[in-house]
Amino acid sequence: MPKTTATITAMATDLTVTGVDLLRVLAWFSPAFPVGAFSYSHGIEYAVEAGLVDGRDGLVHWVEGAVTRGAGRVDAALFCAAYTAIADGDEADLIWAIERGDTMRATRELAVESFGQGEAFLETIRATWPQPHLDRLVQIASDQQRRLAYPIAAGAVVAAHGVPLAVALPAYLHGLVANLISAGVRLIPLGQTDGQRAVAALEPVVLEAAASALTRPREDLGSAAPMIDWASMQHETQYTRLFRS
Amino acid sequence: MVDGSAAVSFCVRDGITALSHLYQSDPLRVLFPRPEPREPATGVLVTTSGGLVGGDRLNVTVRSGTGAAGRVLGQAAEKIYRSVGDDSHINIRLEVARDGWLEWLPQETIVFENARLRRLTVADVAPRARLLSGEIVVFGRTAMGEQVTKGLVREAWEIYRDGRLVWADAIHIDETLKAILGAPSGFDGAVAFASLVYVGDDAAAQLATARDLLAAVGHDSNLRVGATHLGDVLVVRWLGRETRRLREVYGGFWATFRHRLAGYPQTMPRLWQI
Repeated sequence: MPKTTATITAMATDLTVTGVDLLRVLAWFSPAFPVGAFSYSHGIEYAVEAGLVDGRDGLVHWVEGAVTRGAGRVDAALFCAAYTAIADGDEADLIWAIERGDTMRATRELAVESFGQGEAFLETIRATWPQPHLDRLVQIASDQQRRLAYPIAAGAVVAAHGVPLAVALPAYLHGLVANLISAGVRLIPLGQTDGQRAVAALEPVVLEAAASALTRPREDLGSAAPMIDWASMQHETQYTRLFRS
Repeated sequence: MVDGSAAVSFCVRDGITALSHLYQSDPLRVLFPRPEPREPATGVLVTTSGGLVGGDRLNVTVRSGTGAAGRVLGQAAEKIYRSVGDDSHINIRLEVARDGWLEWLPQETIVFENARLRRLTVADVAPRARLLSGEIVVFGRTAMGEQVTKGLVREAWEIYRDGRLVWADAIHIDETLKAILGAPSGFDGAVAFASLVYVGDDAAAQLATARDLLAAVGHDSNLRVGATHLGDVLVVRWLGRETRRLREVYGGFWATFRHRLAGYPQTMPRLWQI
């Protein structure tokens, strides 16, 4: 796909952030954006109870796994796919991305987490920063009877508003990291300063994950974090739970 | 370079399931052991080359026609040897027509140091049809204490219902295997990884059955098991630090689950037990 590769290369080298793009990614991927992120732990609630995640370092390693090898790796690639499909006006590619976003979900709760946030994200954006591409996205998903995963909704929104991919993807992944650390801080529990130390420690991880998503070939789409999927499966039957995943 | 194919179709003839199509090319062979009472029609897949190296390809298609009940299993563990660069490809296609039953029962795939395996299992399951399928991947000859540190392992699934993609999954390990096998969020020391994928209209309802069976066996840090369902697809996973124990528990689950699903005998084929 030379066209897509060219788009990605152009995006990856364009690090100029305009004022409005910066304000938008800050708003859209902030914990305050109403997608209900605070209610999802991505299985960390079970991992903490089972002693798999213990202390700040344990949390950093677990979240690093989620971002670089788990759902974060798959979702970063799907975010790019949705982005380039919207940017290039390639509807067949957009349908592919929507379909993979809908079906590449390891557990029922991880699916709920992604669709819940994706649909809330898009609904809020369409009410506040409307854009015709997004109406088309919703129409296609409805025609194809597909749920909109969070990375598909997010990638499409930033592309529709012309935010550079090289700015938007790290912002999206940082949002994921900040949310998982926040869940860990509440569950382990950790102090707020330790939580921010964890976020700081994961800065290079986020940038590396975003960079590798830009070059990952489609035939290599997948994850390598079966323990996270397992923890999510166990969470589905966890007796006492604060989180929905 | 090996490029072998096997295709097996079962259909109903005079009220019983019979073989309706067979194609095989080296190094694949399909054997048909004497039918056992109350069991589905059974084929045994043999790889005569003894294993795959880089660049080798195996393509297997199994189909259960309308109302037919079939089962295919491997004769022995599949070995994926070291590759100097090219990937070894295994492509499995499973089709189950309306009211059909198909079991695709794996023996373990043993991945050697520096092996490059890409396996894709694609299944299309019609309305009112049922598929019970699985895969087992073992990292290294664990009985000899061998540990693999490098290589490519891709284990992917695509499940269709009546031609529509409903679930896709891919384990894709292409960094240093050693780090991923050891990472708490990766395999946490497991050397064997098994999946069972059941597809049917009753998948959601059967989740409780699966969880009851898993709870009866229990789990610990040497053998972890879990189950979930996504629409018509029920997924059970095992992560084991001891291959032999994982295999025993997997076989025990499979035998009981097939019995609960379809009333078949609560046993595994003799070949699987070796």
